[in-house]
Amino acid sequence: MSAPTSPSSEAPDATLDLPTVEEELWSAPEDAESERFRPSRAGWFARGALWAVLAWFVLAFPVNFLSPFTLGVSDVSAASEAAIFAIVGLSLNVLLGYAGQISLGHQAFVGIGAFTSAYVVVNLDLAFWFAVAVASTLGLVQAAVLGAISLRLTGLYFALVTLAFGSFAQQTIFAIPKLTGGEGGKEAPRPALFDSDYRYYFLCLAFLAVVLFLDWRLTRSKAGRALMALRENPRVASSYGINVKAYTLIAFAVSGLFAGLAGALMAHHDEVIVAQKFGFNLALLFVLMTVVGGLRSRSGVVIGSAFFALLGSGHLLELLEPLTTNVFRFSLHDFLTGTIGLPIEFVALVVGPILLLLTITKYPGGIGQQIAPIREWMLGHRFDIHAGKVKEVEVDDVRA
Amino acid sequence: MNLPLYEQLAIALTAGVLRGAVYALVALGIVLVFRGSGVFNFAQAEFGTTGLFAAYWALTVQGWSYPVSFAFGMAVAIALGLLTERLVIHPLRDSSRVTLLVGTAGVALAAIGLQFWLFNETLVMSMPKIHDGYFTTPWGAIVTMQELITLGVLAGGAALLALFFRSPSGLAIQAAQQERVASELVGISVRRVSMLTWGIAAALGGLAGILAGPYLTFSAGFLSFGAVGSLLPGFMAAVLAGMRSMPGAVAGGLLVGAIEQLSSLEVFAESIPGAGAMILFVFLLVVLLVRPQGIFVGRAVTA
Amino acid sequence: MSVLEIDDVSIHFGGVKALQHIALRVGEWEIVGIIGPNGAGKTTLFNCITGFYTPTSGTVRYRGKDISNLPVHARTALGLGRTFQNVGLVKNGTVLENLRTAQHLQVGYEPVSGILGAPSTFSEERRVTERAGQILELMNLEDIAHERVTDLPYGMQKRAEIAAVLATDPDVLLLDEPGSGMGPEEADELGDLLLTLRKDFALTIVMIDHHVPLVTRISDYVYCLNFGEVLAEGAPDAVRNHPEVVRAYLGEETV
Repeated sequence: MSAPTSPSSEAPDATLDLPTVEEELWSAPEDAESERFRPSRAGWFARGALWAVLAWFVLAFPVNFLSPFTLGVSDVSAASEAAIFAIVGLSLNVLLGYAGQISLGHQAFVGIGAFTSAYVVVNLDLAFWFAVAVASTLGLVQAAVLGAISLRLTGLYFALVTLAFGSFAQQTIFAIPKLTGGEGGKEAPRPALFDSDYRYYFLCLAFLAVVLFLDWRLTRSKAGRALMALRENPRVASSYGINVKAYTLIAFAVSGLFAGLAGALMAHHDEVIVAQKFGFNLALLFVLMTVVGGLRSRSGVVIGSAFFALLGSGHLLELLEPLTTNVFRFSLHDFLTGTIGLPIEFVALVVGPILLLLTITKYPGGIGQQIAPIREWMLGHRFDIHAGKVKEVEVDDVRA
Repeated sequence: MNLPLYEQLAIALTAGVLRGAVYALVALGIVLVFRGSGVFNFAQAEFGTTGLFAAYWALTVQGWSYPVSFAFGMAVAIALGLLTERLVIHPLRDSSRVTLLVGTAGVALAAIGLQFWLFNETLVMSMPKIHDGYFTTPWGAIVTMQELITLGVLAGGAALLALFFRSPSGLAIQAAQQERVASELVGISVRRVSMLTWGIAAALGGLAGILAGPYLTFSAGFLSFGAVGSLLPGFMAAVLAGMRSMPGAVAGGLLVGAIEQLSSLEVFAESIPGAGAMILFVFLLVVLLVRPQGIFVGRAVTA
Repeated sequence: MSVLEIDDVSIHFGGVKALQHIALRVGEWEIVGIIGPNGAGKTTLFNCITGFYTPTSGTVRYRGKDISNLPVHARTALGLGRTFQNVGLVKNGTVLENLRTAQHLQVGYEPVSGILGAPSTFSEERRVTERAGQILELMNLEDIAHERVTDLPYGMQKRAEIAAVLATDPDVLLLDEPGSGMGPEEADELGDLLLTLRKDFALTIVMIDHHVPLVTRISDYVYCLNFGEVLAEGAPDAVRNHPEVVRAYLGEETV
């Protein structure tokens, strides 16, 4: 049975290109609003001042430079850890936030990165920088391979595969003494130039800056757009010509790369890295800090991750202690350990899940959404208390 | 000791099936919840640990009798399941599945946190057994009464569930799980069905926790990743069951238990540390690569 | 040569025969209409053409090439662009973002260079935005470029969806009920728009729609589907007055 085609009534001109539009060139989206807000001079000054305070807080305060406070070495070390956690958070954000996939074995990617880097430096006697590159690459490969396997099914299975991988890494890989140094841990010396805790902090910051840059370019380029589309609606994405599986794999790979890098930094931060560190609780903590920070918000994820890093190591409460006792005449420390009997090391474990559940049920934008008004203001926009209050709507899959 | 391979195998399989009974209980809960809410419930095992902590507290701190303590533990587990449904699952019912998964993981971590907090004075806890007896099988495997009881409870529980799902209200639940909107139209309260699903799942978790608790000493997160880490094996059993079949979950649990115990064979145990975790990981990958739709799928998928 | 050739395509879901032995031919620059009652299998046919379903038997050919086993994105790359019944846009994104995303295959850099922030990617990104602007302008949608799709009324979403599909640079436009929710006047405008687009973009168009007057006005050839089979085919007026078609539509308000 064949259908004869009727001759088409009017054959169109075969102009394959768009008809020329005489209007001015379409401007970039940022400049598109016709009456763009320009802050006043005082406005610029206020913004500049806040930026300066922020820069001081990140760059000077932790290393006792231009600072009336004196922090101990362990505080600088905690700040480095916060920067490393931020990299892990950004790594998970790529998966959870952009691709809509969840990893419950991120502690394994980080841990394997850590021990790999230590192994390359100590056992193979190669340079720190090379070790960092190897650890990052290994993270990329692991995540991509596991991702490829779980993509045969729906995304939820990646949670399962990473969960199994995490327990495999923890019980099998991390039990290899040659790799992890057994009970006593594995040495991971720092490069001579960054041997001091102060310098190592800046090294971590520099890597965090690189990761932030890559993440920013990811979201502003082809791959980021593809991920946003496929997370919300894979069918629409594929009809846009996006290879859904390939781009999901890219997200896995990028996430693994960041995780491996964070692992390497963590190893040389600790200097002696122990396997016990990479338990399942850490995997959950990673998920938690990313979600509470606010998926798809770089600033939120960085703050959320740093918050949980400092909370977990007890430094946050220590830092707040002088403030609460002197200003509010109330010791948070005594309240927690004394009144409600919650030891400091468990604070993150108890407070975290509550914050997580609150975030996903009530404030899905996390910290990122809460700080959005200030962030937008600092970037030179008008202050708008509702900035960032865009609720993501869940979309039914298109009928196809 | 150098036992011949077949004897090692017989011992490993016996131990595996006994351990698998715990996994099967967890898997049943996972499958039930997945059918009901489409959620991968990562809190399933923590329902059990929480029940175990409650029972332990009732028995050793309060000095209540064993049956009362057991019932109390079950009640706490069920309460946690219902609370999860009410505070997390229901508010997120229109969210993506990944968000729901994060929610259940949050519940798990919250439960672990609470256990750490409330019991941080006691480092190692141990729950007394229901029955202290044990015997040695002709092929040399040691079987405790407690493990046999667990196996019996699994058999009984599975039979009860099977009967329940053939009863009118059980059929109504299945209908509600398959067609939300249509069920509302014919007057089945999807809300109540959801509560019931989570309640039963939490009860299954509670049974697993309180029965497996006495196997060894326990601490926070016991049933997820502690001495009897059942979360991952439970999920693997559920995957074998195609995430849907209840009999499949039981068979899957026993199979996963047996496969994991292969790690106790001397070939593995002597050469590879943590061979059990490796075998499970490889097994999961193979299943996902070769038969991602599951093995013990039964009729549930076509129905 | 036909642009699109569907030969003997059948698809079964369990026991349900959704399509049976469908044959369909679409010539270059034609507008082919597909009508039929609800559940006749029209959207299922689209899904077979665009790759969301693999037919149980039969072949789909595009410019002579068998594409029956190609994935959706590869068919888009060949030049098949489609809209969906309930608006196939990324709804949390703005209209402009959708048009930028839809140009995925024309973006002239590798994903990795994009992530590394290679200098050439910046100019390419500007070009992508420019082209999105041109298409929006052509569709008279510049004003809603920065609106989130969910915040738009349905009719606007439908229009934006056509703009997004144009951004994929299609040769063949498959439109699934582009006129749904429109009154007769709007449907008329839509007809004019489609005729213009065909001319400007050198398009071949296959459309499913319930507005029989719209379909008969602009189509060169019409197929009527019922119960997964071709009930009638031919020139628009002939199909419209075909006794079987009239009978199939009895009770449907659209005639």
